[in-house]
Amino acid sequence: MDTLLLARLQFATTTSIHFLFVVVTLGLVTLLVYLQTAWLITNKPVYERMTRFWGQLYVINYVLGIATGIVMEFQFGLNWSGLSRYVGNVFGAPLAIETLVAFFLESTFLGMWIFGWHRLRRGVHLALLWGVAITAYASAFWIMVANSWLQNPVGYEVRDGVAHLTDFSALLDNPTFRVALGHVVTAALLVGGMLMAAVSAWHLVRRTDDFTLHRKGLRIGLITSAVAIFFVQGFGFAQFFAISDVQPTKFGDDPAAAPLIAEWTARFGPGDYTPPALADVGLGFMILIGFTLGLLWLLLPLLWRDWIIRLRVPLWILQFALPLPFVAAILGWIAREVGRQPWAAYGLLPVDQAVSPVSPWLMLSSLIGFSLLLGALAVTNWVLLAQHAARGAHDPALGRQPDQPPADPHPEPAFA
Amino acid sequence: MELAWYALLGLFFAGYLVLGGYDYGVGLLLARDTDPARRRAALNAVGPFFLGNEVWLVAAVGILFGAFPLLEGELLAGFYPAVLGALTGVVLVTAGVQLRSRPAGQRARVWWDRVVVVGSVLAALGWGAVLAGLLQGVPLHADGHVAGVSHLFTPFVAAAGLALVALVALHGATFLTLRLPAADAGPVGRLAARLVPVALTAVGAATVLGLLSADVRTAAQQPLVGVLLLSLLVTALLVARAALARRRPGVAFAATCAALALPVALAGATLWPYALVSTVDPGASLTVADAAASTPTLRLLGWVTLPLLPALLGFQAMCWWVFRGRTDGRAPVYW
Repeated sequence: MDTLLLARLQFATTTSIHFLFVVVTLGLVTLLVYLQTAWLITNKPVYERMTRFWGQLYVINYVLGIATGIVMEFQFGLNWSGLSRYVGNVFGAPLAIETLVAFFLESTFLGMWIFGWHRLRRGVHLALLWGVAITAYASAFWIMVANSWLQNPVGYEVRDGVAHLTDFSALLDNPTFRVALGHVVTAALLVGGMLMAAVSAWHLVRRTDDFTLHRKGLRIGLITSAVAIFFVQGFGFAQFFAISDVQPTKFGDDPAAAPLIAEWTARFGPGDYTPPALADVGLGFMILIGFTLGLLWLLLPLLWRDWIIRLRVPLWILQFALPLPFVAAILGWIAREVGRQPWAAYGLLPVDQAVSPVSPWLMLSSLIGFSLLLGALAVTNWVLLAQHAARGAHDPALGRQPDQPPADPHPEPAFA
Repeated sequence: MELAWYALLGLFFAGYLVLGGYDYGVGLLLARDTDPARRRAALNAVGPFFLGNEVWLVAAVGILFGAFPLLEGELLAGFYPAVLGALTGVVLVTAGVQLRSRPAGQRARVWWDRVVVVGSVLAALGWGAVLAGLLQGVPLHADGHVAGVSHLFTPFVAAAGLALVALVALHGATFLTLRLPAADAGPVGRLAARLVPVALTAVGAATVLGLLSADVRTAAQQPLVGVLLLSLLVTALLVARAALARRRPGVAFAATCAALALPVALAGATLWPYALVSTVDPGASLTVADAAASTPTLRLLGWVTLPLLPALLGFQAMCWWVFRGRTDGRAPVYW
């Protein structure tokens, strides 16, 4: 058994599950900000009910984002101690910044948002949701800075075999960073929009009550995802230029790959410096899905006079299309991450030097244990999401009136 | 500068044990009470703070990775089984607490509550084992790697794990005494008072086993500081006992908070100036200064995060202030 392979499998499993949930988190929180802001401005009850309904689904989904995210953070030290030993001076900085200035605040705000209904003033309560959204985007920003550095290490110098930070702004100017961030963020909006459209379509097909609410959900979701897919495709294709410049071995035959491999062979010894074919295959399928989802634009004219609902077929299409963006997101990450092989940090630190020197049995038990645990939690979470989505917007637990109305808005402090 | 970052790391990890500690304590005490309404009341007493509590752990590990990359790799990989246990516990508690009330059926909730109980025990055991493992030193070789994980399986590590479980249970009960409606606070206050001797016994047992262990005695660089902090821990527990008897839950809670924070200070200060003490080769021990990231990285982290530190603590304080006081029927119920 090979510790390295087991560690890579565990990273792939955890990251994939993590991304399936955070992509929804990032997309839905944006739509929630729209809904709750619209409620504050227009005072229409439908926006309050939509905020509670979609907020409930958002909060359920958020649980797995945290659970898998914590496991990922620890995994760097548990399984990849070479990563912190050799490049931790540079790679660790954006991760540390992410935990402190983004995630720490995001969770603090979210806790107050969940329990702040009927207790905080509406403006303050909305500001908390804005805080959650801004810090969620900040999270995506810093995580992508860190990941892009692994794709294309910049702004460092190696002394005594250890990388030291020389120019932090180079990390932010990394050609593998900005376009990829745009791609990830718009993909999240696409997923959030399609989720909202598909769940609304489910209710509209079954003619459950709340027609107005689900009609609004369908429209918001469809328009969001149609706009988003346009940018997802644009940012996606724009990445090829950067990749061909700095990662020529990533996708098949680039003429610049051969000299680079020759250089690596001279520096690191002979070895297989081409990534597995999996990266390429995944990329092909992802692009296919991307083009298919581009057809969402064809549904937009049907919003006129609710033809999209009257025809019914489009509602079914939206429901069946829901898995597609999730599959595409995973394939996209496989292309990016597997395409980085055999490097932990491209051209700087090979994966076999990055893996922790722990026994394969320990690594295997950790792989099996966490895959089963996170897999089971993920499935349970999706079942709960489906149940709550199907239950509709009658009375979500989120934002429900407390048993007694607040008589005294300033209760006695317990420290008295 | 390394000392400042080491102190900040200690602050965030101690903050996690204090705040996450009462999450786990309340989670642990779910096992005692089978009444669904009282279980729900206990979890919603933690309610608004829950999400803001466990992020202290995430932030601590973030600082560990950013400011002490060398320590991060060896600490987590070197204590693999203990970290694995703690991490499983953290995941179970975070999922269990947040999802337990989403299914409508009572049976599903009972299962989720078991998940929370098991997770709370695992988390406390795991972090107790990590702190004890630090105190007894690790087989750190000259190549910079910790060899194997069998060094963790000693009576001292087991006793320290159990001691943290006892401390966390006491802390959770004290938190509920402070936070539940006045009518329900009485019984849980008496429970907390009964848990103080249990915690004292557990801490005492761990201390005796630690003093008997040659590894712990050799690893301690500042034994006097260690003894001083340990006596402070015992004092905090006695203060908690006295305050609970006098129905001063606020004072008792402050004391149990100190009791949860002190083990971190104990491990950090006793080993100073080392972060990891080697049991096999004294020359291989890792000092805090050597474990720290290079100066440009620390300076960058300082510039980006330190100005925001008041905001981080301020928003946490806002959460505590907004939701201060005892829970009542007017408080939102979600977990």
